[in-house]
Formats: sequence, structure tokens, C-alpha cells
Amino acid sequence: MNLLIPLMVIVPILCALFLNLLHKKDRAIKAVTIILALALPALPLLANYGFHYFGGYEPLMQNPTLSSNLPSFITGGVLSTFHPAITYSFQSAQQLFVFILGLVGLLALFTSVYETRRPSGVYAYMLFMGIAAMTAILLTDDIFNLYVFFEIAALATVGIVLVSNIKGNYETALKYMILGSVAAPLLLLGIALLLGVTGNVNITDIIYSLKTGMVDPQNPVLLMACGLIVFGWLYGSGLPPFHTIKSAIYSKALPSGSAMIQAFSVFTFIALGIVILRIFSYLPLSQWVILGVSLLAMILGITMAIVQTDIKRMIGFLAVGELGYIGIGLGLGTAFGITAGLFQAVNEVMITALLFIGFGVVLYQTGVSDTRKLGGLMVRNPGVALLVLLGGFAMAGVPPLNAFQSKLMLIQASLDAGFPELGVIMILLSIVTFMTFMKAFHTVYLRPKPADLEIKTETIPKATVISLVVLLVVCIIFGLFPQYVTSYLQPLATSLAGGVA
Amino acid sequence: MIMDVQLGSLLTAVALIVIGIFATAFLDNLIKKIIGLAFIGDGANLFLIAMGYKPGGIVYIYLPGMAADWFAQNAAYPLPFALVLTSIVIGASTMAVMLGIIIVLYKKKGSLSAAKVLGE
Repeated sequence: MNLLIPLMVIVPILCALFLNLLHKKDRAIKAVTIILALALPALPLLANYGFHYFGGYEPLMQNPTLSSNLPSFITGGVLSTFHPAITYSFQSAQQLFVFILGLVGLLALFTSVYETRRPSGVYAYMLFMGIAAMTAILLTDDIFNLYVFFEIAALATVGIVLVSNIKGNYETALKYMILGSVAAPLLLLGIALLLGVTGNVNITDIIYSLKTGMVDPQNPVLLMACGLIVFGWLYGSGLPPFHTIKSAIYSKALPSGSAMIQAFSVFTFIALGIVILRIFSYLPLSQWVILGVSLLAMILGITMAIVQTDIKRMIGFLAVGELGYIGIGLGLGTAFGITAGLFQAVNEVMITALLFIGFGVVLYQTGVSDTRKLGGLMVRNPGVALLVLLGGFAMAGVPPLNAFQSKLMLIQASLDAGFPELGVIMILLSIVTFMTFMKAFHTVYLRPKPADLEIKTETIPKATVISLVVLLVVCIIFGLFPQYVTSYLQPLATSLAGGVA
Repeated sequence: MIMDVQLGSLLTAVALIVIGIFATAFLDNLIKKIIGLAFIGDGANLFLIAMGYKPGGIVYIYLPGMAADWFAQNAAYPLPFALVLTSIVIGASTMAVMLGIIIVLYKKKGSLSAAKVLGE
């Protein structure tokens, strides 16, 4: 067993607990947070691909030493193929996702300790716990373990909002938790139905039961389970009808917190989307649901972003819209389409983090996030304005940045799959995204400064600028060398498209 | 007619979930909404536990002197009980956080009415 795989989850949890103990010791929190956060992108690069089995062992058919002592009715039947442990699977796609999550986490933590006068151990605790939960969601092959960490991620999200001290944060957090406390038990109900029909919570074993005919795949209970799991997926990702509460959550968190929460949403989208594709791809309805919901998310998210006056809410709605692009890729069901969707997810995490941190500089300097009250900031921060402008270009899909490559792949995939209309919609919405971003950029940076706008802080922390530069450099590298990134995603995409577990 | 224990549990679970959704959606008092959410969580847990029911089954504790294959054929399914314990803990933590937020909001706004506290 590869011990670095569980450490990818355990290390952030231990970091979180340790930083919580250091609360109010400012210098110690700053130093310790940065040192511990370096482990986040490093661990997935050091770990070998493989599996880890929590609280058990590998399937008996792979363990001749153990199975030699057992009776033949256990070793000779299907029981020998089942996984008697919580299995964590770490392959190339998971390595890329956990690395990107760790990188965004490192930069968000780095930015947060320098932007606040008194770094908060509790805030760092919430960020680390959220990262641990998301890593577990990405690695786990056990659907109940996924639900447990899904709930932990939701609690961490609420914690990030509560610690922000932004007006209205408690109300938004309570609304989010009330909705979550409806959606999460329904997700659990879907898992209970799967357990009742298949007798398993391990996803590979569930798929095995369906494919080998041990369970009738056309059982209507499985359709009900699919519906309930899709409902939980909608809540966790911030897809319609939960897009308004999710963008409200983004607007009530600090910029570094918003950057992490959107990363949590995207990776929850991917993880649960992959689970739905793996288990329920034999149901044509599941792919139509993914396509339909994604289309709705794209249209609603991007069109609602146009009318927003709060910068963070605008980026939040744009982020929801970009989720739709990812879903189109997954819903097309072809290897190329799924690769494109997953590549778009990786790109979107970085671009949205860049925009939240970049526009967060505005909040840091002025304390204002209402675009109607802002202006003239280009003169003060031309460097940051340029970085934010390039981030906006990246989100809109301007070459040679990363989202251009992923959106081009998505359009090609939709044409290949026989859905040219989807390609047209994606192009039109990219143009609307560009317009929305340029409108916000103009009001914040280019138009004359309003007389009553007070600049509270002239200097910007170097940590923020470094974070923006790192994210932009990675976006440019991914844009210039997309094949390097897609090579990590192709094995997973091929197995999903082929219907192989 | 004597109802099967498992069927009775599943129907009770569904009833709890429906009552909980009604309470969450239609009652204005925040504490009553939280109680409704607790009903939904408890309904889901009862449904999960009912999945492990085996008519005439024994408790899944392997005692000395039991034959392994007799135990395997007669024990109830132990996995749902482990899952429900975890789910109860998660539900309790979520409930605690929500009640903490409500306390803060009550001190700020002096009301438990969702329309007043959460309304824009």
C-alpha cells in the first residue's frame, strides 16, 4: 500500500488541528501556515500511483496469502472480487486534481496570512479542513466515504464564510446550511437505495454487480437512487437551483476563501459527476440530465452575472456558468469530450481563483465591492490590473491562455458528438462572459475615480501579487502545452467513455 | 394485518422525511425549521438502518462456539449500522453549527422569524 496516498488527506487535517491551537499567535500562524501549505501540492507529486485500503485489505483475489486460509464458498465466488475496505484510488487524473487543489490552497493561504493584519488560526483551520475533505472526495472509491467528506467540505465552507466578518455572512451561512441539510440527507437516501439493491458502498463493486447481472440494472429503485444522487450533486456543485445561494456564499467570504470555495465546488462537481457517469452511464437519462443541467447552469450563470453590481457575486455567477462547460464535456460521454470537460475544470479552478484574489485587491484597498462605487484604480495598480485583465481573458477563452484550449476542445467534442448547437451556445456564452468581465473591469479600473471613494491602503501585499503571477504563469503554461495536461486526464476519460469501471 | 418490520421502518422513514421537508419549507420559526431538518436526517438514517434488516436475523456479534457459515447466513447486515453512526455524528455537528448561528442572529435581530432574520 502506498502510504503517501492517505497522507494527502491526513496531513491537511493535522495541519488544521495544529493551526487551530495556534489561534491568536500571529507570527507563529504566518510561518507555520506557509510551511505546512507547501506540503499540499508536494504530496501528490511525490506519491506513486496505486490504491490504499483503509481498515481492511485488497480484494481476496489479489491476496493469495489471506484467501488460502478461507473456505472455497468465499474464495470461489464473487466475494473474492469485492473490496472489504474503504479504497482510495490515486491515478494520473487524481494526481493532477489534487496538485491543482493543493496549489490553489497554498496560494490562497499565502495570500490570506499577509492580507489580514491578524492572521487567524481558525480561518487557516477551515481552509485546511476543506482541502482535506476535497482531497478525500477526489480519491475515494467508497460512496459513503464521499458523502462524509462532502458534509465536512460543506461545514468547512460555512466556517470560511462565518470567519470573514462580512455583513450578512451569518444569514447566508444559515441559508446554505438549511439547504444543505435537505440536500445531503437526500444524497444519503440515494446511497441507502444503492446499498439496499447492490449490498455495496464501494463504487467499483456496485458497477461490478450491475455489469455482471447480479443486480437488474433496470430496477426502478436504481433510477430513484440516480435522481437523489444527482440532487446532492446539484447542491454540492452550486448548479441550478442552488446557483444563487452558492454565488451568495462566494460574495460573503474573503477573497482567498472565495477562491477555495469555488475550487471545492468544481472538484465536487467532477467527483460526483464521475461517480454518476461510472454507475449510471447505462441509463441514457443520466447523460441527458447532466447535459440539461449543465446547459441551464451555463445560460443562467453567465446571464445573471451581467446584472450583478457586487464584484464577487459577478465572479461567482461566472464561475457557475463555467461549471456548465465542464458538465457539457462530461455529458457528451465521448473520451475526447470528457477529457475536454476535465481540462476545463482544472483551468477554471485556477482562473476563478486568480479573479477572486485579483479583485480581492480592490476590496483590500477600498473596502468596497460594489462596482457602482468604484473606479480609477488602474492608475494606482497597473500591474495588478494587467494580471486581472489577463485572468478575465483566460476565463473568456482568449488564446493562448488555458481556457481557450479547453473550450476549443469542448466545441470540437460537441461537433464530433453530433451536437453543433452546443458548440454555438458555448461560443456565444464565451462572448457574453468576455463582455461581462470587460464591463466590470472598466467600472473598477478604467473609468474616473468617484470623489467619495476612499483608498484605505496604498500598498498591496507582495504575497498577493506573487499568487496572481504564479496562477497566471500556470494558466499560460497550460495554454501553450495542453497535451501535457490532457495526457493525465485521458486514461480516466477513456475508461469512463468505454463504460469500464 | 401485521406489517413487516422493514416495510414499517421504511414507511416511517419516508413519513419523517416528508414531515421534515414540510416543516423546513413552510414553518417560519427557525428552531422549528431546524427540528424539521433533524426529522429529514433521522428519516434518512432510519431508511439506511432498515436496509440491513434480516427477518429472524441475529445480532452481528460473532461469539465463541458459533459456526462461521451459520453466523454468515443468520446475522443481520452490519454495514448500515456503521454508516448510520457516522451519519448521526455528522448530523449532530451540522445541527450544532446551525443552532450556534441562530443564537448569534437572535442576539443581533431579536427574532426567530425566518422572514425577519433571513429576509433581504
